[in-house]
Amino acid sequence: MAEPAPSPPGEAPGTEEKPLLWVTRPLATAARQFAKSLWRPSTVIYPFERLEDPKFRGEVAVASGRPIGVGEIWDNYRGVHALNINTCISCNLCAFSCPDVCIEMVTVPGGDPKHPKKCPQIDYGKCSFCGFCSDACPEGCLSMTTRYELTAHKREEMVYSPAKMFEVYKSKLPMNPIRVERPKNEDQILLDPPICIGCNACARDCPTQCITMLDIPKTTPKPGEKVPKRIWKEPVINDSDCVRCGTCISVCPKDCLFWGTRQ
Amino acid sequence: MSTITLFSASDAIAAFLLAHIAYVFPAPVKGWITSGDVVLGLASLIFGVILLGASMINTIMLIWWERKLLGRFMDRRGAMHVGFAGLLQNFADGLKLFRKDTFRPSKADSLGFWMSPTAYMVTSVVIFGILPISTGWNGGSLPLTLLLALVIFSFAPLFIFLGAWASNNKYALIGGMRSAAQMIAYEVPILLAVVAVVVLSGSFNLTTIVLEQRNYWFWAPLFLALIVFLTGMLAEMERIPFDLPEAEAELVEGWNTEYGGMLFAFFMLADYVRYLVGSILVVLLFLGGWTLPTYVPSALTSFPLAGIFWFMVKAYLVFGGFVWVRASLPRIRTDQLLRLGWMRMVPLALLSVVLAALVVAAHCLPVLGCVPSMGG
Ligand code: SF4
Ligand code: SF4
Ligand code: SF4
Repeated sequence: MAEPAPSPPGEAPGTEEKPLLWVTRPLATAARQFAKSLWRPSTVIYPFERLEDPKFRGEVAVASGRPIGVGEIWDNYRGVHALNINTCISCNLCAFSCPDVCIEMVTVPGGDPKHPKKCPQIDYGKCSFCGFCSDACPEGCLSMTTRYELTAHKREEMVYSPAKMFEVYKSKLPMNPIRVERPKNEDQILLDPPICIGCNACARDCPTQCITMLDIPKTTPKPGEKVPKRIWKEPVINDSDCVRCGTCISVCPKDCLFWGTRQ
Repeated sequence: MSTITLFSASDAIAAFLLAHIAYVFPAPVKGWITSGDVVLGLASLIFGVILLGASMINTIMLIWWERKLLGRFMDRRGAMHVGFAGLLQNFADGLKLFRKDTFRPSKADSLGFWMSPTAYMVTSVVIFGILPISTGWNGGSLPLTLLLALVIFSFAPLFIFLGAWASNNKYALIGGMRSAAQMIAYEVPILLAVVAVVVLSGSFNLTTIVLEQRNYWFWAPLFLALIVFLTGMLAEMERIPFDLPEAEAELVEGWNTEYGGMLFAFFMLADYVRYLVGSILVVLLFLGGWTLPTYVPSALTSFPLAGIFWFMVKAYLVFGGFVWVRASLPRIRTDQLLRLGWMRMVPLALLSVVLAALVVAAHCLPVLGCVPSMGG
């Protein structure tokens, strides 16, 4: 079957090989592959056998070279999310960061009636498993597991409620807490004091309760100037507790909070 | 070896059937039904049906064989789940295609569009009628079977081009053009390689050619011709290193772009029929047909239908070689294809004709035994 191959025109003279090799070498490679996979090709016949099965131990290694344990796929696998409802602070950062807009913040029991607790609900019909949400979560309560089976008969079944993801969390699957090493966030929430009306909205909605409304002295208006209409309180932000969620900025009715660096 | 022949078998079936059918009729009709002519007619019909059925089943098995082999070449398993080891997968695929709508693009020419798949299929299948599978298992021993087979085999470009032209699609037309050019270019080396075989065996009759190989198979003295023939067959079959007519990356699906459903299945099936015919021709011309070398223990050659068994084994192995080539080599360019055909294959084939003539002139090969004298 080794027919001589033609020599291609315009080939650089140095790189030219024997034309016969172009035929024989691929044939040899294919034959080697054939012989190798004659006994057992590397296909895993998925629904009938799985990579997690003990018989594949030792054949599959994680990135570090360690053979993976039973029940594991890869330790950096990005599968279904696990959500620890108890530590979620409802900061919205996961929903903000999702490129596919598949996270919706839904109310879960546990909050007070005036200020309900909201946790992410993920629609896996849209999720691209990018892991941004897990990366953004400041509390480390949203992480990705090695569970990869998501098939469902209806679209609604692909929407995972916080409770369902909490179940995943409780099943103690190997988790991949995606946490990209980032430079320390220097941005802080700054206040434009003359505009602030001291309405308490930011302090009320801050998920970390790091805003305190402090009393400030009442100013005396200069002649001809109107006295600002405000309750004589001003938010003071505890930078070390702030998770930079931006909720305060978005709830502020007067747009007096903004990102910046404190001098 | 068993003495049943395909014709005696169908004759027996026909006689049996007619004897039982005639049972219910009154005497004159009974006599007419069981007369020789009617039996002969029905026997011919059964003969054809058996041939058609056998060739179709073998063709579909060939697809399975290719899928399995290609799978192993690519470290996969191929078809697995329908039937044992996926044996029925192709029947399932065929059923799926059968249930699909067949339609014709509105600007396509109706006659050519419908005719070409049928004609392509028919001209491919009809070759089976004259290929000897084993002693007695052929449709009559014509003196020029080899030529007839090659002539029918080379009808294909006509119908491919017809279908491509009738589809009224630029990709189909380019594919059809390429197909015709390629097939015509490779007819020449193929025929020259066949001439070498004919010179050595002294006959155009395939049965005689096989019987002439009883001392040694022709691939050894005619190795060059074998290479030319295999290459030419690959090009005639439009298989992978030479599949320019349906280069998927450039031409969508080549000349059968506009065909869907059962019409596509017709083309595909006819392609595989041609692969099977090609492999069978290689076995007949170079690999000793249904015979095995004399040093093989006779137990291996004396069970019933041993000839057919070994013949099919050889044919499938040859096709396995084609699959091997498909799994290894990339597609070549048109200029390379034509240069390979005209500048390498034709001289090689001419050389092999000269070699064959020398072998015949020498009459006796020192080790392998004597070549029977020419003419015959
Ligand atoms: S993994 Fe990506 S796409 Fe999926 S929910 Fe998280 S952020 Fe959205
Ligand atoms: S980012 Fe984390 S803490 Fe914030 S709402 Fe989402 S899951 Fe809860
Ligand atoms: S950004 Fe604003 S709302 Fe969010 S944690 Fe910091 S202070 Fe609180």
